[in-house]
Amino acid sequence: MAYQWDFAPVLANAPFLAEGLANTLKITGTALVCGVVLGLALALLRLSPRCFLSWPAGFVIEVFRTTPPLVQLFWFFFALPILVGIEMTPFVAGAVTFSIQSASFFAEVFRAGIQSIERGQWDGARAIGMRHDQALRRIILPQAVKRMIPAFMERAIELMKTTTLIATISYADLLFAANEISQKTFRPLETYTVVALIYFVVIFLASQVARLVELRLARSGESTVH
Amino acid sequence: MRWDFASVFDNTDALLVGAAGTLRIFAICLVLGLSLGLLVGLGRYSRNRWLHIPATVFVEFFRNTPVLVQILWFYFALPILLPFQISPLAAASLGISLNSAAFSAEIYRGGIQSIETGQWDGARALGMRWGQAMRRIILPQALKRMLPALTNRAIEIFKMSTLASAVAYVELLQQGKLIASLNYNPIEAYTAVAVIFFVFLWPLVQFSYFLERRLRRDE
Repeated sequence: MAYQWDFAPVLANAPFLAEGLANTLKITGTALVCGVVLGLALALLRLSPRCFLSWPAGFVIEVFRTTPPLVQLFWFFFALPILVGIEMTPFVAGAVTFSIQSASFFAEVFRAGIQSIERGQWDGARAIGMRHDQALRRIILPQAVKRMIPAFMERAIELMKTTTLIATISYADLLFAANEISQKTFRPLETYTVVALIYFVVIFLASQVARLVELRLARSGESTVH
Repeated sequence: MRWDFASVFDNTDALLVGAAGTLRIFAICLVLGLSLGLLVGLGRYSRNRWLHIPATVFVEFFRNTPVLVQILWFYFALPILLPFQISPLAAASLGISLNSAAFSAEIYRGGIQSIETGQWDGARALGMRWGQAMRRIILPQALKRMLPALTNRAIEIFKMSTLASAVAYVELLQQGKLIASLNYNPIEAYTAVAVIFFVFLWPLVQFSYFLERRLRRDE
């Protein structure tokens, strides 16, 4: 007997799904902003000639790039609160994990971007009397960031997909809403299909924007880093 | 707070079972994902629309949805359409393999496209058919260029294998959860799991850096 599809019970829970999507965007946005800022800091530390700055930064980057995000999330949610004696909400644990995790990837993008700028730009900045940090802020980074845009957007999209892991520690994101609705309505097929489609639409649109931006940069003759 | 790893070492057996589970699903997804990816990549490369369009839809769909959603779909949703149950291993392997196939398809396609047309012309001049040229001339050269990206995919697959714990497949993280809940030692249990993953993955990551450096030097 053919299965009778029935999307009505799922659609009746549309407000739940909307709230889940809003929470997914909230955790993605939070981790993205923190990740970029922290990533820049990590990149600058790693590029430092002083080894007591560059080694710890390199260590953090390597550890977070080399271990699975879900293990990191469990560590921050179940282990860290006991270690430091504070209560962690699922949102905070997720925000901390995804921020540091994406920061370690953003750091490598920043590093590649900064290193791709020709030495002459540094020399020129020094010649007109700029200090190192002035040259970095006014001359190097503005040029480097433009080359990094495609890699950034790619990472941001990866980050959004990674945030689904937060459903495993019961933060009410879109995937968690799916788990709840599926159990409540006994309609797992329809629920998970709808939720997969919602993710697809959001992520596909973001990917298309990223593709357009990359094409435009390529047409303007801008070189990019990955 | 005193660290007490003894309670973790007492459970070495459970961790070994978990490590075996992790390696098993990693091997399955690596083989399935990378070989299916080659087929899909050839479809993407093909000018035949009956191959190109389905391959493109497959790639776009699996690249643009989160792998955890895919795994849960295969575990909770797919069995409704099938006359039989799906095991946690099967659901997680399906999700991770198809996801990896979509990502590696683009690696294969890019690698094949990067080979100069002169290589194709030369192969044809020697009387090779398309399949022969692809197998003997194009793919061996393309594989060398793709090796760093494929190694990165393997690393991603290893990391993704932890998602199988979401459907209660017995792997390292799942065993870590079990140990933590039985012994009330989440700090030690999860730290041990993280360290084990690091030990497995660090050599792979270093190997991928080495391949990238060598490729840059050779090109």
